Amino acid sequence: MKISRRTKGAAALAGIAAFALIATGCSSGGSSASSSGSSTDPITLNVTTFGTMGYDDLYKQYEQLHPNITINATIIDTGDNAKTDWQTKEAAGAGLPDVQAVEEGWLSAVMQVSDQFNDLSQYGANDIKDRWVPWKLAQATDAKGRIIGYGSDIGPEGICYNSKDFAAAGLPTDRDAVAALFGGDSATWADYFTIGQQYKAATGKAFYDQSGFLWNAMVNQLKEGYYKTDGTLNVEGNAQLEALWTQLSSATASGLSANQTAWDWGKGKAFTDGSFSTFVCPGWMLGVVKGQVTSAGGDATSGWDFANVFPGGAANWGGSFLTVPTQSKHPQEAADLAAFLTNAQSQAAAFGVAGTFPSVTAAQSDPAVTGTNDLSTFFNNAPLGTILAARAKGVVAQYKGPDDSVIQSQVFGPAIQEIDSGKADGATAWNDAITLLNQLVVNK
Amino acid sequence: MTTTLTPPEEKSSEAVPPQRAKPKLPFKYRLSRWDVKASPYVYIAPFFILFGLVGLFPLGYTFVVSLNKWNLLTGPGGFVGLSNYVAELNDPFFWNSLFNTVSIFLLSAVPQLIIAVVIAAVLDQNIRGKTFWRMSVLIPYVVTPVAVTLIFSSAFDEKYGAINNLLQFFHLNPIMWKTETFPSHIAIATMVNWRWTGYNALILLAAMQAVPRDIYESAALDGAGAIRRFFSMTLPSIRPTMIFVIITATVGGLQIFTEPKLFNPTTATPGGPQRQYQTTVLYLWDLAFNRQNFGKASAVAWLLFLIIVLFGLLNFLISRRIASTEARSSKRKTAKRLAAYNQNKIS
Repeated sequence: MKISRRTKGAAALAGIAAFALIATGCSSGGSSASSSGSSTDPITLNVTTFGTMGYDDLYKQYEQLHPNITINATIIDTGDNAKTDWQTKEAAGAGLPDVQAVEEGWLSAVMQVSDQFNDLSQYGANDIKDRWVPWKLAQATDAKGRIIGYGSDIGPEGICYNSKDFAAAGLPTDRDAVAALFGGDSATWADYFTIGQQYKAATGKAFYDQSGFLWNAMVNQLKEGYYKTDGTLNVEGNAQLEALWTQLSSATASGLSANQTAWDWGKGKAFTDGSFSTFVCPGWMLGVVKGQVTSAGGDATSGWDFANVFPGGAANWGGSFLTVPTQSKHPQEAADLAAFLTNAQSQAAAFGVAGTFPSVTAAQSDPAVTGTNDLSTFFNNAPLGTILAARAKGVVAQYKGPDDSVIQSQVFGPAIQEIDSGKADGATAWNDAITLLNQLVVNK
Repeated sequence: MTTTLTPPEEKSSEAVPPQRAKPKLPFKYRLSRWDVKASPYVYIAPFFILFGLVGLFPLGYTFVVSLNKWNLLTGPGGFVGLSNYVAELNDPFFWNSLFNTVSIFLLSAVPQLIIAVVIAAVLDQNIRGKTFWRMSVLIPYVVTPVAVTLIFSSAFDEKYGAINNLLQFFHLNPIMWKTETFPSHIAIATMVNWRWTGYNALILLAAMQAVPRDIYESAALDGAGAIRRFFSMTLPSIRPTMIFVIITATVGGLQIFTEPKLFNPTTATPGGPQRQYQTTVLYLWDLAFNRQNFGKASAVAWLLFLIIVLFGLLNFLISRRIASTEARSSKRKTAKRLAAYNQNKIS
């Protein structure tokens, strides 16, 4: 008995020791700041990005320019997974990289804990802040006026259309004529849906893949979206929003939506079998369209083209930022790297690789952006850079509340699916969305 | 403390010589006795220390979190007692997730066990290429669930999937596998069955092989057919293994996550557009990582833990009851027959 009690003690001691180990391990990870070291000490910078941001060659360049710096890059497949990764590490208080890429879609979550990111104006942001389009900089500035991220790309939206399908429906196929058909600079959603009806009457086919992307664009175009600028919810009783919903749901009810699963599209087959003929295309989406068409066995002859027009005026969807979490041990070096990756030259180079349209004004007119590349060849030699630069004019940053992404995906996501699949009419789906809003956001 | 206050009374007894003198054991002997008594605890200690660290501690910590308002990112926001539990028990989404979990569990566990028993019984026969067949049924288990889900997810696709294409080829209506409740449950249960049937079959096969062969031989000599032997002899003898398989299937089935999560990964709400197949674990993941409500998610985790314990107990009691009633009734039958036999003899 005596002996076994002693072993118990030993076990407990071992347990305590293990706990202590873990505890100290955590605290050493948590303590940061301080030593930035002299500029010649060899240091390693961890960088986490997602999707295709086109930075691989730029890392090599930077390492050549700064022989003491080694860049350790982690690329996460999608923005959503990158969000989960960041959230987990943020909640755990350890494990974040020196440079963390943040997508606009979850920027509002990041802003909740903006004090966990370094204020880049202490590391030279004030010298370079004129390089970005003003609304991009505004998005990366938190409520206290701290700049927590350097803008990388933006997502000005144009319309992708399939010229073969348009020809079959007797519509113009030339991209300037198509832009004029939709109403040019004064294009409205009503115009877009009217042409959709014509197309449907001529071919019997749907006009757009599903309603979600259209709704996303409609909401982003408003001066105030799901939240008012003062941070209060702005959905229930918002007549402007409800009118747009009615417009979208009645168009969908008349068969303009192909009710495709977004981000799946039958592994790309929906892009090549004529299921729909127009598609909402922010800059970074062009690469996605090419990928989908290619994976379904299509190529440049599949007929996709890009028109310099967007219903309802200028709109932005997505885009990313490079931030420096306070967990970083080398905030100065990390900020310098982020500044390098977002300068005009780097952004122009990244556009050529990944189709990410620059948020830096000087890069938007860079020949590498306005010229031809693999992507523009795929889109029937459309001058992608020039069109996107035109589409970026007039975009304003909308205030995003903390639950913006929850409202987008979990409140209106199900409602969109209801109208797309014909499970419910517009009014019912709107009421369902309001019920969900109260359940998920108001009474959380 | 008390010893310093009260006068020591043991001194007097100490003065009396002890009745049995305790011989001082040599060190070597004491060491070996210590070894015999203590070593087993030392050997199993690593498991319990690890279990405490990665099992017990998180369990307790989750409970603490569940008593607080706790945002995933901004951290604890005040003690709220059991109100997270009350809120979840009144949340229709929680009950929806529980319904989905139980429905998928029943749709998978029941056919899975029946098929597993049949496969095991077939493999238990004298067939050619035994090892080949036995390894074949285990192959689905070797493939990772992610890969299985990817393949099935594409086969069950509503517009381009192989299954709906086949249905349309025979001029049948396509089935909405991913957006309607019952079809989606069947689809997910299919994935679970695909993965676990072979595994369970092998465990049951091992139990069947442990049944002594001579009993079968004598039963066959007495004229019992193959089916009669299966129901009257094989099934009763593998009952303990059946209980094990049923309980592990319950625990696994109630924690199902990967299949519903990846079945339609692009949907805005995890687990179907209107949460048609959002299981409880998926719901708690959604609460924690999409809605950032760590407190409520922890409450759900604890509720799920309690539910699994409850299900486990229920299963255990039911299967034990079946076992004992069968034994009792067979005893009664034997007694009756014996009595009748004796009576016949007498008369």
